[in-house]
Amino acid sequence: MSPRALGALVARLGRSLRRVLGAPDYERYLAHMRLHHPGEPALSERELFERRLRDRMERPGGRCC
Amino acid sequence: MRKTLSILVWIAVAVAGALAFGRLALSRGETISAAWLLVAALSTYAVAYRFYSKLIAAKVFALDAARRTPAQRLEDGHDFVPTNRWIVFGHHFAAIAGPGPLVGPTLAAQFGFLPGAIWIIVGVAIGGAVQDFVILAASVRRNGKTLGQMAREEIGPVAGYTALVAVLGIMIVLIAVLALVIVNALRSSPWGTVTIGLTIPIAMLVGVYLRWIRPARVLEASAIGIVLLIVALFAGRWVAEHPTLAPIFTLKGTTLAWLIMGYGFAASVLPVWLLLAPRDYLSAFVKIGVVVALALGIILVLPPLQMPALTRFVDGTGPVFAGKLFPFAFITIACGAISGFHALVASGTTPKLLERETDARMVGYGAMLVESFVAVMALIAACVLTPGVYFAINAPPAALGTTVESAAAAIRNWGFTVSPQELTVLAAQVGEKSLLSRVGGAPSLAVGMAHLFSRALGGGAMALWYHFAIMFEALFILTTLDAGTRVGRFMLQDIVKHVWSPLGRRSWYPGTLITSGLFVAMWGYFLYQGVLDPLGGINSLWPLFGISNQLLAAVALCVGTTVIVKMGRGRWAGISLPPLAWRVVVTLTAGWQKLFSPDPALGFLARASALGRALAAGSLPAGRTAAEVQRMIFNERLDAAVAAFFLVSVVVILADSTREWIGLWRGRVPVRSTETPPELDGGGVARRATAGAAS
Repeated sequence: MSPRALGALVARLGRSLRRVLGAPDYERYLAHMRLHHPGEPALSERELFERRLRDRMERPGGRCC
Repeated sequence: MRKTLSILVWIAVAVAGALAFGRLALSRGETISAAWLLVAALSTYAVAYRFYSKLIAAKVFALDAARRTPAQRLEDGHDFVPTNRWIVFGHHFAAIAGPGPLVGPTLAAQFGFLPGAIWIIVGVAIGGAVQDFVILAASVRRNGKTLGQMAREEIGPVAGYTALVAVLGIMIVLIAVLALVIVNALRSSPWGTVTIGLTIPIAMLVGVYLRWIRPARVLEASAIGIVLLIVALFAGRWVAEHPTLAPIFTLKGTTLAWLIMGYGFAASVLPVWLLLAPRDYLSAFVKIGVVVALALGIILVLPPLQMPALTRFVDGTGPVFAGKLFPFAFITIACGAISGFHALVASGTTPKLLERETDARMVGYGAMLVESFVAVMALIAACVLTPGVYFAINAPPAALGTTVESAAAAIRNWGFTVSPQELTVLAAQVGEKSLLSRVGGAPSLAVGMAHLFSRALGGGAMALWYHFAIMFEALFILTTLDAGTRVGRFMLQDIVKHVWSPLGRRSWYPGTLITSGLFVAMWGYFLYQGVLDPLGGINSLWPLFGISNQLLAAVALCVGTTVIVKMGRGRWAGISLPPLAWRVVVTLTAGWQKLFSPDPALGFLARASALGRALAAGSLPAGRTAAEVQRMIFNERLDAAVAAFFLVSVVVILADSTREWIGLWRGRVPVRSTETPPELDGGGVARRATAGAAS
């Protein structure tokens, strides 16, 4: 495996792990906004991150016993 | 050829499982290897997943990979996001797995390993995993609706609102009992107190890092946090060995209870990014890491189970909690076999992420099997201790007295052997002054885990491993406690706004402070009475938690059954009705006994009367004042009222559901699917396959 391919694999694993933890995938969100809502302002990475956080922390069922 | 091979492999798996169960059930008088328990569990999971979950996917729901999911139809980039199934699986598992499957099996080990083992393994296959899967599939077919919404719409408003109030009650009891587990683990333990205390500033540091230094760099920040947690572990040891610092951090149970209430309040009123979110990330990492490490430790060591298959305490005289094997084994172990709380997760974030309907099988049924495996591992870790040591840690002071000599004598009376020296040496090995009566399950699990990890790595370092395990359990528990307090505050705000509307406004800070204080006071009261209770508190609170969790499971299975009937697949209600009937019988029996049993050790009302008689006769329990006994009487009656509320809720929800089912059966209510109408993938995706063919 070339160093570059290895780097890409590590980056991909990292992105997956972030999403397992519940952090949003910002690139995917931007792609979604470009495709479906062109011209509308997109949230910044921090705004999206915090929006997801609030959503998770305000409902029962975000965490269990 | 391939098909024949597959049939042979599955027959071999089934036979291995049956043999392992037979070996477990027939062992008498000799210790047997934990390997038998592992084989019984893993082969049951494999067969259940391969055949039973497939049956549910294909016949009951007819899950269709081509039918568009809410994540696809409503994709918005933040709430509804189509996500790879392994990622959803991991996220769902991290959300459902809490301290429940660790504590319950440890407590239930007082009956021996066999009842817990059978209930965890069989209960999950036909109960818990079915519930999670059915609710997830129902929610996916309804744009990700929550359990409360589905209860209201599928059954009726009575069931819906009862479920809503019941959830609030469950949160109060759950948080109180978990906080009590932490208090009992940290009481008079400067090492544990310092290590756990340090996890709070560490989480805040990670929060600040994520907000200002490197925004949203979750992995980086978590890695720094984990290194700091290990530093905290050693800092705790340094303080515990320090002559002037150690006494400052040697705290009483009541002091710890106040500190934990303060922490819960802070978590509810501070911004989530500062405390809740970073703690959540750290806890998720530690959770996954320790579950994997525990599995490796057990597989490497394959320890013998020191606990007998059945103990004499199946007759209901056990010191850890009162009550006979039936129904209390099935109340004590909820998470790991069937947990109603999961229905809230399965109808929360998870249905909004599924990329394909057919993924619901792996995520809903599969993740619950993994949680069940965690419960099996906790049971093994509790049973590697000799019964004498297990009861010394888990029985309350009222049964053991307060010295190693009185404890060893009491345990000898129960027919197990342990010497006072053995208890003193073990406490010193794990770096504590005493392990006696550390009720709540966490400390005995930590001793068991320390034993396994230490042996897997060639021995030694018991004290570090013990405190590592305590830190891991406390992280688990505090994550449920802080997030739960915050969610409870929001639920309370939604209720009290009908009394005074400004309290419901989330943007009004005084309202936040008042409702947070109110909610903390609710669980704090139960926690405080538990700390003072000479029977250990766990004795009365854990059964209440079990009953409330099973009440929620009954709601979930009622919703599931109604959904299945309305799909026109009433003949398949056979998958959800048997676990529902079992839950109802167990919950009602246990609730009835906790209320009305004439035995003061078991019945709340009988204990209140016994205390009242003692008070009238002037013979107060040792070291108690008349005012304290008055308060104990009030607490017993309060526990009775809570149990009665849960019992009435079960009956109301079951009655309302039965009314709806009779209506459907007689034709008064049309049998019409309440699902979002199907939209098929038209994009030429070559993955069109029904659930049956997909596997």
